[in-house]
Amino acid sequence: MSLRGVLAAVVGLLVGVLGTLWVTQVRSSPPSDFGADAGFARDMQTHHSQAVEMALLVRDRTDDDEVRTLAYDILTSQQQQAGQMYGWLVQWGLPQTGSRAPMAWVGAAHATDHAGSNEPMPGMATAGELAELQAASGVAAERLFLSLMIDHHTGGVAMAQAAVADARTPEVTSLAAAIAASQASEIELLEQLLDARS
Amino acid sequence: MSKSSRPHGGTKAGRTKVDEVRQAQRAKERRSRIILVTAVSSVVLLIAGIVAFTVWKDVSGRPTLDAVKTYPVTRDHTTEPVTYAQTPPVGGDHDATWLDCGVYPDPVADELAVHSLEHGAVWVTYRPDLPAEQVDKLEASIPDTYMVLSPFEGLPGPVVASAWGTQLVLTGVDDPRLAEFIRAYRQGPQTPEPGAACTGGSAGDLPPASG
Repeated sequence: MSLRGVLAAVVGLLVGVLGTLWVTQVRSSPPSDFGADAGFARDMQTHHSQAVEMALLVRDRTDDDEVRTLAYDILTSQQQQAGQMYGWLVQWGLPQTGSRAPMAWVGAAHATDHAGSNEPMPGMATAGELAELQAASGVAAERLFLSLMIDHHTGGVAMAQAAVADARTPEVTSLAAAIAASQASEIELLEQLLDARS
Repeated sequence: MSKSSRPHGGTKAGRTKVDEVRQAQRAKERRSRIILVTAVSSVVLLIAGIVAFTVWKDVSGRPTLDAVKTYPVTRDHTTEPVTYAQTPPVGGDHDATWLDCGVYPDPVADELAVHSLEHGAVWVTYRPDLPAEQVDKLEASIPDTYMVLSPFEGLPGPVVASAWGTQLVLTGVDDPRLAEFIRAYRQGPQTPEPGAACTGGSAGDLPPASG
């Protein structure tokens, strides 16, 4: 065999061995600081916390059982889910605070021009809207809560779908899929309740 | 191949010529082997060098948190005003209500802010005479939740970042260690009550003392 042949064989063998090592290493190592898993775990905690805050606000501002029950459902489930995300980051040895802007993880895996980066977290209520909810009561508070929560869930579904597409750990993809499905169906309920109060 | 068909085949001079050609051929092969080995090694060395330099540059350029101070602190609830050992306080006894996280243009009650630190917030304080555009810059550089930003009289530096039991005096709003401090301590492992809320508390005023 010529020298070139031997060299080519050695290089090929090395590439093969290193490639296999790399793949197994990547599979078994915890998620990266910049990936969709960590990004979703951080941003969805912030997103969920605001839903909890709004649900608590409306429960203190109306006697309506339908809205209060829905708010109870949202706040207990989202608080529990946020706790799961917090725990993942602790297990992965990653800080709760990312080193990139919120939502920078969305679409990063596909490297399209405008996907995700630097866009605000979708569906979040503004400080002004929260103040409005704080000041409202009765049916006005219910209506405001319902319409804010429709936007909030719509954004949440989009974020969860992005995580289903790009995350690589089963814990993230399965919870994200559950969130996308449950919030999508809850949007219909929110719309019905809002219609009944218009 | 027949002997007669080979040019200059049978003569001594012909054989010498063939040997010379073969020798030249071997020398040429040796040279190209040396060139190939040198080229491959150079490329490998170059790549290793680039990787090493990149890693070194990244590690050596990273801001350090060596100057962070830690303090042992108590954590009981009290309705009394508290005198804190650190400026601004990093922990200690505090009000039963916590301060809602967010941006405050005026000084906040220490007894409330300390409770937010217990819930995992990072409290960024700045000297009251800090120019407005620098305050804006500070506000833009911090996360939206689990953060309190407020002016504070008598700070040991232009900007100070505090988390439960820990503090870092910064040189100004551009100090790169602020982002590192927030990464390390916002809802960090020092948090006594992980998962506790930084909303639904007080918007800055201490509740009236009872009794």
